Order: sequence, then C-alpha cells, then structure tokens
Amino acid sequence: MTIDIHVHPAFYAPINEDPAREELRHRELDIHKNGTAPLEHIFNQMRCAGLDRLCLLPEDYSSSVGCLVENEEIRRLVDLAPDKFIGFAGVDPRDPAACEKLEDAFSRLKLKGLKLHPGRHHVMPSDPMMEPIYDICEKYNKPILFHAGLSWEPDTLTSYCQPLAFETVAAKHPRLRICLAHFGWPWVRETAMLMVKYPNVYTDTGALYFDNAKEFYTQMLTRDIPTTWIDRSLRHQVMFGSNNPRFEQIRMAQAIRELGFRESTLELIMGGNAIEFLGGLD
Amino acid sequence: MFVKTIHLLTKQYVQFQVITPEVEKIVAESGIREGMVTVLTKHTTTGVTVNEALECLESDMQNALALFAPEDRPYSHARMLRDYGSTAGNPTGHLKAMLTGNHCHFLIQDGVLQRGGAQDVYFCEFDGPASRNVLVIVEGQ
Repeated sequence: MTIDIHVHPAFYAPINEDPAREELRHRELDIHKNGTAPLEHIFNQMRCAGLDRLCLLPEDYSSSVGCLVENEEIRRLVDLAPDKFIGFAGVDPRDPAACEKLEDAFSRLKLKGLKLHPGRHHVMPSDPMMEPIYDICEKYNKPILFHAGLSWEPDTLTSYCQPLAFETVAAKHPRLRICLAHFGWPWVRETAMLMVKYPNVYTDTGALYFDNAKEFYTQMLTRDIPTTWIDRSLRHQVMFGSNNPRFEQIRMAQAIRELGFRESTLELIMGGNAIEFLGGLD
Repeated sequence: MFVKTIHLLTKQYVQFQVITPEVEKIVAESGIREGMVTVLTKHTTTGVTVNEALECLESDMQNALALFAPEDRPYSHARMLRDYGSTAGNPTGHLKAMLTGNHCHFLIQDGVLQRGGAQDVYFCEFDGPASRNVLVIVEGQ
C-alpha cells in the first residue's frame, strides 16, 4: 500500500463547478495556470507515481478569507473514490464554531484526521485556544497534520510554523499523533530533533522549493540531514507527501525511491508510516 | 475558417497518440473542399508531428528525444515559478516540444486530407499525464 499523505484537492473538477469559487482558490492558494483536474486525470497521475491512496486536505480559513475547501467537499470526493481517497477535516481555530465543526467532521463525516495551518490562522500551536481542538482529536484518536516551515500561501507567517513552535504540543499530548508537514523546511534538523525525542511526531516530504525533485531531496534528505538519520532512527516517522498540486507528485515519488534508503525503510515512508499515523485505514 | 478543439486526457509521462481520425473527421465536418488544415497544440510541453504509426518508431522517437533531453541534467528551468506558485519540473518537456514543433499542415483536395500512405498525425505528450487541447483549423472553400 502506497500513500501520499499530503494532497490538496482544491482544483479537483467535482468541487469546482462554480468559476468564482475556483478563482478564489487560485488567488488564496497562489496556485495558477493549472486549471481543474477531472478525477480520471488524478487517477492517471497516481498510476504514474505508483500511489494507491491520496490523503485529501481541506483549507478552512473561515475567520479571514473563508473556507476554501470544506469538510463536506472532502467527504464528497472520498465518496466518489473511497478506494483511492482518504479525507481529512479542517477547522479555523479562530472560528467560534471550530469545535462543533470538528466533532461533526469526525462523528458524522467520518474524516480521518485534522489539517491545521498555524501560519495562515496566525495562531501559535501552543496557544491555549488550541487545547479543546487537541482534546477532540485525542478523544476520537485522530491525528493532526500541521503545516510546518515555509508556506507559499499568501498572508502566512513562518514564525507560527517553525518546528520548535510545536514542541509544547508534542510534549503535552504524547498520545496525539502530529505531523510537522513539509519536513518543517528549511528547519529540517529541528524537525529531526523533535522526531528523535517525541515518537508521536511525524513528518512528510512535501517540500520542493528549489531545483528539481531529485536535486532538492538529495540536498534535504542526504546533506541537510544524512540519509542514515532516517534509515536508522526516524524510519517509522517519515511519510511520503507531495503537497500536490504545488509540487510534482510523480517526480517526487520517483526521487524518494532513488535516494538509497533500505527497501524496508522505503516501504514505511511510502505507506506503512501513513497507516500508523492514521490509526489504520478502516 | 472552421476551428474545432480535440480534448485529450493523456495517461503517460511521454506518450505518442495518433489523432489522424479525429483530424479527418473535423475536415469532413467543416465542409471545406479545397484548402488547408492546420493541427496546432495549445501547450508548450507537447508537440504535433507527422510520422508512420508504428510501435517500434514510437519507441525510437521516445529514446531519441530522451538522448537530446535526458531527465538527469541540471536544467535552469528546475525552479519555483512565481506566476504559477509551483515548481517547474518539466524542462525536458519544453525541449522535446521544441524539436517536434507545435503544429503540422495538410492539403485538402476534394474534401479529403491529402496525406501519404505512411503519414499519420501524432499528438506528442512530454509532460503527462495531463489534460490537453489541440486546435484543428480548416481554411479554404
């Protein structure tokens, strides 16, 4: 089983019937000239990348520009291809209805985890306003995928997303599985530090800010930190994530496979760790 | 002038797809008896070329183009593009497209596309899978 833990379906055709909504998504995600993608194209892309499942992430910025991809839309996409899609929930912590929405997303919509973007929400992960959200995730045994490190989206502040900003959450909630997405780039060593200390901290590989996929991954995963750190110590905490459509799923999946990890490590990165993070696929 | 678009959903990273039947159908539909047809791709990492539709030649074309633009070269185009908000990882597609060109022409006589016995129109995908559009422009009377 191979899984891409970090996919944004904002431009999938079935949820882009309204051109004004599509335009809002282009503007607020700062992704342009990509058009919308029929699901058949997504499936072709998955086949070329050698991926069985995609984890679809919403974007809820209700307190600022609005909810760009809603939990209901994620559910709708999952229902269109339940054998291929895994759906996450989104809430804006500044939205007074955040907890109610999250309860609904887990209990009624049966979404598998929560996506949060502290840099866009302008809320520190350790802010007390986050505690009820963490409590709900623990109650339902659902993981949180946090944006970490640089974000290309407009109105994002990186200081909210530095890996160290998540340490309090990892320490205070040892039963809560959290993913510091994008390997916390450029703070790759700090992300590695948190993972080696806290077994409930995961990361994904959704970063490609310079060069091509092979060159960037070679820098990030063999020079910024040596390959051995992952292959020996962090092999159960790193998940393949592409951050598609910002980045290139096919070439990133191919590049990860060519970095020289042990075959058993590669199997964990490409799917096994995601299943653990999600708490199973059922 | 009669213009129609062929919509394609390619399935491979590099793919050669014969579109002769679609082009001939559009020429017939146009009602133009004497003139020219142009087949023109709207993308910069795809091509349009004319060749013999043989599996062996498709393989040779793919290998020859890969020699000209191998995947593991240090291309300048491998970088974050602000206009797109995404990373450009497709320099080889642009370069291969430059070689095949983006269009072909055929003469139309008596309402029929005048092509040689071995000639077929290929749509060439160099950065797939993707959703693609090809213009077929029929001119004449």
